[in-house]
Amino acid sequence: MNRILILAGLASLALCAWVLPLIVSDYVVRLLIMVCINIVLVGSMCLANGFTGVFSLGQVGFVAIGAYVSGILSLSLADKASYLPDLPMFLAHIEMATLPATLIAGLVCAAIAIVVGLPLMRLSGHHVSVATMGFMIIVNVVIINADSFTRGARTFTGVPTDMTLPWVVGWAVLAIFLLARLIYSPIGLALRSVREDVIAAQAVGLPVLGTRLLAFSFGAFLAGVGGSLYGHYLGSFSAQTFFFPLMVSLITMLVLGGMSSLSGVVTGVIVVTALSEMLRNLERGVHLGPVSIPPLFGASQVVLGLLFILVMIYRPRGLFEDREISSVFKRRKQRSNS
Amino acid sequence: MVFKSLSRTALFGVAIAACVAGQASAADPIKIGGAFNLTGGQASLDGPAKNGAQMAIDAINAAGGVNGRPLELVVYDGKTDPAIITSLASQLINSDKVSAVIGFSDSDPVLALGPTAQKAGVPFVAVGATSPKLPDQIGDHMFLACFGDNTQAAVGASFAITELKAKTTYVLEDTANEYATLLSKYFRETFEQLGGTVLGRDTYKTDDKSFAAQITKIKASAQKPDFIYVAATPDTIGLIVRQIRQAGLKQPIVGGDGYDTPLLLEVAGAAANNVYYTTHSFITETSTGAIKTFYDAYKTAYGTAPENAFAALGYDAAMLVADAIKRAGSDDPAKITTALAETKDLPGIAGAISYAAGSRIPVKGVTVVGVKDKALYKAAELVPTFVPAP
Repeated sequence: MNRILILAGLASLALCAWVLPLIVSDYVVRLLIMVCINIVLVGSMCLANGFTGVFSLGQVGFVAIGAYVSGILSLSLADKASYLPDLPMFLAHIEMATLPATLIAGLVCAAIAIVVGLPLMRLSGHHVSVATMGFMIIVNVVIINADSFTRGARTFTGVPTDMTLPWVVGWAVLAIFLLARLIYSPIGLALRSVREDVIAAQAVGLPVLGTRLLAFSFGAFLAGVGGSLYGHYLGSFSAQTFFFPLMVSLITMLVLGGMSSLSGVVTGVIVVTALSEMLRNLERGVHLGPVSIPPLFGASQVVLGLLFILVMIYRPRGLFEDREISSVFKRRKQRSNS
Repeated sequence: MVFKSLSRTALFGVAIAACVAGQASAADPIKIGGAFNLTGGQASLDGPAKNGAQMAIDAINAAGGVNGRPLELVVYDGKTDPAIITSLASQLINSDKVSAVIGFSDSDPVLALGPTAQKAGVPFVAVGATSPKLPDQIGDHMFLACFGDNTQAAVGASFAITELKAKTTYVLEDTANEYATLLSKYFRETFEQLGGTVLGRDTYKTDDKSFAAQITKIKASAQKPDFIYVAATPDTIGLIVRQIRQAGLKQPIVGGDGYDTPLLLEVAGAAANNVYYTTHSFITETSTGAIKTFYDAYKTAYGTAPENAFAALGYDAAMLVADAIKRAGSDDPAKITTALAETKDLPGIAGAISYAAGSRIPVKGVTVVGVKDKALYKAAELVPTFVPAP
């Protein structure tokens, strides 16, 4: 029964993804694409930050690596010759389609995460936050200085902009599916026990470092994939695109929805995107019959900040806390049965 | 009770006024998109640019509009965020269906918006972005409203040779910034082309606070440079100038429009003497003619003097598009693009604008501003003889 429901849901989602771009405006399609990409990015953070208790602030570093790796691989040969003349031979003659470039970007990020994670995942609490933030800053500096690969501080441009709605919906569904399989499995239980009590987890024989490293590197893989999608959505970006502002906006979505809930991830992304777009359009001034409010640019950020404070006061663990939509349904069913 | 009915009457009055106003301005305006980063890192450039553009639109409408129709500037805030900029690009082009777009003062946001406008065939005039590569990177609907960095670097070089009688220079550049990197490259090319010698070259990063290592190297060089060319961004230039003077180097310091910030005098103070920079326009209380009119109108409209040259560039960009619409005799984007490319000797606050055949970067005079006794003065206005390729 459940499986049929899920399949039906997926089928209707696929149908929507194909049909919607024909009906609604290009602007709405763009917003939906951004929502899907952000689901991948925020999903990549929930694994380590929410379920494993490793509050990483460095995820944006992996997003940056993903975007640049995939960008370098998929740039056309002509653009490569003019934008990146000093690329080493083995890269200068490669022109890849978006899909393999995205997968390679994810794998590169996962590999880097294992190297970086080996020392960092030994840390706990806010130490790990500061250390991972350091990683993000290092990535930023390396991008700015690795001129021949990244054009340094200059805008990296010419990346094919081939993100369509069905494509990103597919990635978002795949990301959530993979995360759900991992989180609601014995491995997921191990992640949560490491989060709840390190000593107890060790006492029952769980390798704390290994468990954290798994969450961190799988999250990095997804971040790399998301970074590649984001890069192919924007077409041009620079090192500044992947820095503190992006980190803050991703963490806002994560914390608002609930860090240890996949439903929370999806809800957080949708709520924050919808609210900020609504407010962004409202701040341009409103004419409602007799009432007209002059434009107040910047007001949207203020209102969004206030809303965020209110949510943190009344629901400090996010909208969904650690529950899922499916578990809410189950509880109702149990209640109605009894 | 009385109060309540009073307020109701007032509300009714406001409603009628609003309706009347709504009808008056609904005479089918021609929409021009205004894409500016009004918040975030680039607000200090785009805010004045937007004010200037709005002032131009208001002035045109007060004089009866273009082809009998008023203009409307549809403003969006890009928030210095590329994802938002791509969204607003789609809103401007596909939802508001603007006839042309003006905006932005940096190449990053221009590259985020440009492809959408290019794909839809809508002309896009960048207000303050100076990278001469932009029109070729984006396509035939992309125009710059100000000179390219190659032009201002060339003027910097020829000013040093003719006015400062310099033969040798030392170059210091900010490698963490595209603008500064390119400016330095163009400067060195021109200076050597004109017969000067670059004795040495050193680099720093935008966030650096001490330039002692670089300055010591300049002091230690066997041959003393006649002047120092520093390709810098607004946030560091004050500090660099002060440290160079503290180290006892008295040579002139020359640079680009990154110096066009109040920070130069605020941070460097008396040390800023003998600094020269190339920029778009020199606007002060003592200016005359059209610039003076602009200065006064800006002060009346916004309660402050034009913050920097970007206010003038915003004004010029809006005037440029309005002029093209007038000559095209239509709000059709394709015709406006054609008319824009044929712009000739359009007077502007930041210099007259002409586009040479096939080029979408204006040929413009460059203003050189100098510093003397903690005050700015206009040192020269030059059109370069040699301009390096972008």
